[in-house]
Amino acid sequence: MSRIQTTFDRLKQQQRKALIPFITAGDPSQRLTVPLLHALVSAGADVLELGVPFSDPMADGPTIQRASERALKQGMTLRGVLGMVAEFRKQDTTTPVVLMGYGNPIEAMGWEAFAQRCAEVGVDGVLTVDFPPEESHEAFEHLQRHGIAPIFLLAPTTNEARIEQVAKLARGYVYYVSLKGVTGAGNLDLSAIEQKLPQLRKHITLPIGVGFGIRDAATAQAVAKLCDGVVVGSRIVQEIEDSPEQDVVANVSRLVKELRQAIDQAQGE
Amino acid sequence: MGKKRVIAETGAGMHGVATATVAARFGMECIVYMGAEDIQRQAPNVFRMKLLGAKVVPVESGSKTLKDACNEAIRDWVTNVESTFYIFGTAAGPHPYPMMVRDFQCVIGNEAKVQMPEMIGRQPDAVIACVGGGSNAIGLFHPYIEVPEVQIIGVEAGGHGIASGSHAAPLTGNAKVGVLHGNKVYLMQDEDGQIIETHSISAGLDYPGVGPEHCLLKDLGRAQYVAINDDEALAAFDALCRFEGIIPALESSHALAHAMKIAPGMAKDKVLLVNLSGRGDKDMNTVARIKGITL
Repeated sequence: MSRIQTTFDRLKQQQRKALIPFITAGDPSQRLTVPLLHALVSAGADVLELGVPFSDPMADGPTIQRASERALKQGMTLRGVLGMVAEFRKQDTTTPVVLMGYGNPIEAMGWEAFAQRCAEVGVDGVLTVDFPPEESHEAFEHLQRHGIAPIFLLAPTTNEARIEQVAKLARGYVYYVSLKGVTGAGNLDLSAIEQKLPQLRKHITLPIGVGFGIRDAATAQAVAKLCDGVVVGSRIVQEIEDSPEQDVVANVSRLVKELRQAIDQAQGE
Repeated sequence: MGKKRVIAETGAGMHGVATATVAARFGMECIVYMGAEDIQRQAPNVFRMKLLGAKVVPVESGSKTLKDACNEAIRDWVTNVESTFYIFGTAAGPHPYPMMVRDFQCVIGNEAKVQMPEMIGRQPDAVIACVGGGSNAIGLFHPYIEVPEVQIIGVEAGGHGIASGSHAAPLTGNAKVGVLHGNKVYLMQDEDGQIIETHSISAGLDYPGVGPEHCLLKDLGRAQYVAINDDEALAAFDALCRFEGIIPALESSHALAHAMKIAPGMAKDKVLLVNLSGRGDKDMNTVARIKGITL
């Protein structure tokens, strides 16, 4: 069984929701990424989304744009990110790691070589923001051959036919974009999420994570009540940006513990 | 469609002015994204857009040119997709934009195909146009694809020269295939697949990719793609001003420069058709600055 499935099965048994934090690999420095990943797990993360920085992050708001710029300035590459996962796996063999980014760095490396390397280092899923399902078949065959889950985004504007199409291709979990907009946007609408989820559930049997625009314990808690996992990206990346380098790990840990607590309380109610 | 708001990206500002014009005519809100560097070098077009009631948003990220404006327009679009139509500026981007933009731009090619026989009794020996994303070029080329005796030549921005690496010529510079802005095309990138910063004297050609149909025409060998450097384009700009009394856009000056380069080696009865895709009024500041003149 895959690490992603094992994790969601365990959470289901415990009647808990997944906390899925996102950080950009190489931000604020390459040295800190692996310690940050371990700290996220210790603070209560269930699945890790590790951003592969790209020069043109079209789906990202200013916070993650700046994180990508910082990481690229440090010389972060896709191969480097894969090396970080290998390093992380030396101590943690159970927490799922999902790479999230844009298609071109993978295109440049070649999908087969990339998928093979993912399997070697212990990557569990891959989310390419700018690859629609129509264009993904060939690429994702490579992933699936090596047991890597293609993770898909669904949006408030996704229609029923497309939800069905994604339901066939997706593995691991499905990532529902909570709002119309880019990462870190401020226009989260909880009732809209609540209305959309039954339509998603009709076709999707995989766990559904919700992200984009979840900025504090309160919104994390509210969203947790509606779905199987809460993805928090920009808020954590903002914490990294605002912290002096020596405090980054401690500050991020504190934030993620707060989010964990809030999400678990959602269950208690 | 019921949409009341239009957005566009623009490099040289030509597409921004066109979008602002239709928005003014039909009473729609218009937002134009433009790289901060391009706002500097194409100030007259920025002023035009503002006169037409458009809001011009400077884009400060990345190289502050066309590709970054495109990123920002896409971010706006995903945020406001229900109220907003994205009027894409070039024959690139996600399907069906390359096809739509080509069909709209084909007015020039269709007219040329009818008018050339009227003017010279036959079709030209070659059609020549500048290629950034490649919209004006595909508009001229497309009707001529089925006319095998007409040579098709696209002229990319050679910047400081292909060998310098400081250019915007993915086809001539043998860039690898990549994915950006929703299309898979020849794309200027580093080994890790990061898009590299481009350079051209002309804002409209300063783009790391090129429309998918040009990539196909290159692969098929039906069109030939060449590059013209900044200084060659400037010399052609000067020549057309002085000898014809026409001030061409710096983009179009690339196409002219290539025509001037090959014409001396051709027989006198050969005819080259050059697409003069833009006016040079917008480039007065850039040209004056390069010549060391304060306006």
